Amino acid sequence: MSFDLNFIGILIGAIMASSVPLILAASGELITERSGVLNLGVEGMMIIGAISGFALMVVTDNLFFAVIGSMFSGLIISLIFGLLTQSLLTNHVATGLALTIFGIGMSAMIGKNFVGIPGKEFPLLFLNLKESIPFLGPIFFGHSIILYFAFGLPFLTNYFLKKTKTGLIIRAVGDSPTSASNQGINVTLVRYSCILYGGAMCGLAGAYLSLIYTPQWIENMTGGRGWIALALVVFATWSPIKVLIGALIFGGITILQLHMQAVGLRIPVQLLSALPYIMTIIVLVVISRDSRKIKLNTPTSLGQIFYKEK
Amino acid sequence: MNTKLKVSEISKIYPGCIANDKVSLEFISGKIYALLGENGAGKSTLVKILSGVVKPDQGEVFLNNESIKLNSPLDAKKNNIGMVFQHFNLFETLSVFENLSIDSDKKDEDLRILVNDILKKYNFKIDLDIPVLNLSAGQKQKVEIIRCLIRNPKVLIMDEPTSVLTEQETDDLFISLKQFSKDGILIIYITHKLKEVLSLCDEVAVMRKGKVVSVSNTIDEKIESLANKMVGESLNTIKKKINNFKNSEEILKISNLNFKSDDPYETNLNDLNLSLKKGECLGIAGISGNGQNELFQILSGEIITEGTSIMFRNKEISKLNPRERREYLMAFSPEDRISQAAVPELKIFENVALNNFKSSNFFEKGLVNEKKIKEHAKKILSNFSVNTDNVELKSQFLSGGNLQKLIIGRELITSPELLVCFNPTWGLDVGAINYIHETLIKINEQGKSSILISTDNDELLKLSDRICVIYKGKLSKIIDADSVTAEKLGILMGGGSID
Repeated sequence: MSFDLNFIGILIGAIMASSVPLILAASGELITERSGVLNLGVEGMMIIGAISGFALMVVTDNLFFAVIGSMFSGLIISLIFGLLTQSLLTNHVATGLALTIFGIGMSAMIGKNFVGIPGKEFPLLFLNLKESIPFLGPIFFGHSIILYFAFGLPFLTNYFLKKTKTGLIIRAVGDSPTSASNQGINVTLVRYSCILYGGAMCGLAGAYLSLIYTPQWIENMTGGRGWIALALVVFATWSPIKVLIGALIFGGITILQLHMQAVGLRIPVQLLSALPYIMTIIVLVVISRDSRKIKLNTPTSLGQIFYKEK
Repeated sequence: MNTKLKVSEISKIYPGCIANDKVSLEFISGKIYALLGENGAGKSTLVKILSGVVKPDQGEVFLNNESIKLNSPLDAKKNNIGMVFQHFNLFETLSVFENLSIDSDKKDEDLRILVNDILKKYNFKIDLDIPVLNLSAGQKQKVEIIRCLIRNPKVLIMDEPTSVLTEQETDDLFISLKQFSKDGILIIYITHKLKEVLSLCDEVAVMRKGKVVSVSNTIDEKIESLANKMVGESLNTIKKKINNFKNSEEILKISNLNFKSDDPYETNLNDLNLSLKKGECLGIAGISGNGQNELFQILSGEIITEGTSIMFRNKEISKLNPRERREYLMAFSPEDRISQAAVPELKIFENVALNNFKSSNFFEKGLVNEKKIKEHAKKILSNFSVNTDNVELKSQFLSGGNLQKLIIGRELITSPELLVCFNPTWGLDVGAINYIHETLIKINEQGKSSILISTDNDELLKLSDRICVIYKGKLSKIIDADSVTAEKLGILMGGGSID
């Protein structure tokens, strides 16, 4: 195996691709949590997005419909969560867990008829540039449009939360729903919107897996990425940029340890497989150790049920 | 133009309680109105109705003779009714400016100019770009007030605004409120503090059990007359018998108490010495933040200091933890009822069980003996006239007065030899204050001792046998209560000295 520059470029490109579902799901969940809602159903929403994207692709033979449809199905399933937690005031944690179990079961059921069907090739952009520029080419070019979107998303999210009025309102609701309500803000509406947005992003993350990353349907193909996304949000202390860093570290070490396994290093495989989890947590804890910042970024009302005085 | 606000026949009924019973009142700008009443008299409900947070079951609100509908806080804002709640409605993690801009339609630049004008006009000093959680209570309240002022309010309602303020901050607030009133804003001031009514307000309406019982000019009122209207029965003024402790036995002796803290927000204590006799009440006065917290925690065993000797009933207890000290018949009532003395999310009987002694047998073989605890809790509720007999009630639903009675009751039911309490009547209404004071006097009469750390000088003068002042972590010399006056205390609290 030659460690030339171009190979490293390709490696970095692969790392970027593998972190896309994490970035998408975590960015969506970050907005949801910033409004004070803890939705543990990320894994469930992702896998529903994955199967509905793939199924739509097979049925309609149209990738655009497949992508939009996966977002829509993520949104619909998060609406169930919204109805339960916001209108019927159920416990966020229990409802989210139920959503994940529901999503995994549901996707397996729908997916039965789609096992073994080959996926469709997803268009990749700037393929000629990827080939012609060494090192930088494979890093910046030859990716799907969703990857470019995913890498822009944390910056957009950051700008949205910090600089826009709507972002301010979301942060205010997450800080104190009672105060927000007393200020005339419709807390339930804000939280519903954030839940639905989170659902749509998780759906898209799932579609990335089943349409682009490994274009096929495999039962349980999200493989715990939803839980990683949830952990990223917390360990990144609700900062979108740190979510991006965390996702890249996780994706990077996942890919690297696979190469290390392939090379045949004399390190137990189990230890190598655990490495991405350990390293991501260590790095995020280290870069987020400013207790003042944590206090300012943490949505104070996270997971609390809000009901309005009548 | 004058603003006229009228509430007419307002009623609001909650399950098991009539919060407002046909309340009718009239307010005209240019005057400052007091709405006075004990906790639970219905003031807060009326205010919530005026600010659109709660909808009344019956009745109407008129602004300048026009009936207005207040279905949501937005309606109140549209009608230029501003409201500063007792519990701040601020977003702690957002900056001051973000807190102000969130409900303003103005552009950020225009808003900043407007806010700076207000800051200048009323001489407020607040950094707009730091998070609200870094502000003092007084500053937070100013942010709330500015939030109202940027909307050009016709009416400004203040709900118990001084309960979290220092004396200096209270003075500042009163100056501002008078200025607002001069600028044509109608001010409604909700409180249970009688002195404030007399020093600030022009007219006073007294509420009791959901009804308006009197409306009068404050010039015609005195503290006693207002107190009687508020409580509804003539208060018997408590007097403590002056005792002679010269021959009683010494129960507590503290020598060489020193405490050095690394935390810049804590006060160091320097060479404190004091002693206490059986049946005596020692008052410790001082402006808050002069070391009271630290002293209380050292007395209770939350902080263990090196080199200090605390002799209690002829035993060295300076190394014992709070639980061991309680076993040795000390009792403690901390300042903060909700975070230090009780757990609000726990039920009453569970809070009672937190004080568990070897002898109480609340826990057997690692299991909770609920029946025993509940019996014990019931006894406390009835012995200390807590206004409920439901031990399953979550403590957060008790009013401040009832919670304090529960805490004092929990501490006293084991007949301790010494009770250390810190601001025991902070934020309570007159009825509850009287009850706590009577209780504290009773334990002295039974030959038990007490240390009363308080920032309320009237309370100290009423209850203490001897008083000293804590200033910057040092204790003044101890004075007999019969020779001390409010002036002398004032000098000592400001760091002066007397002979």
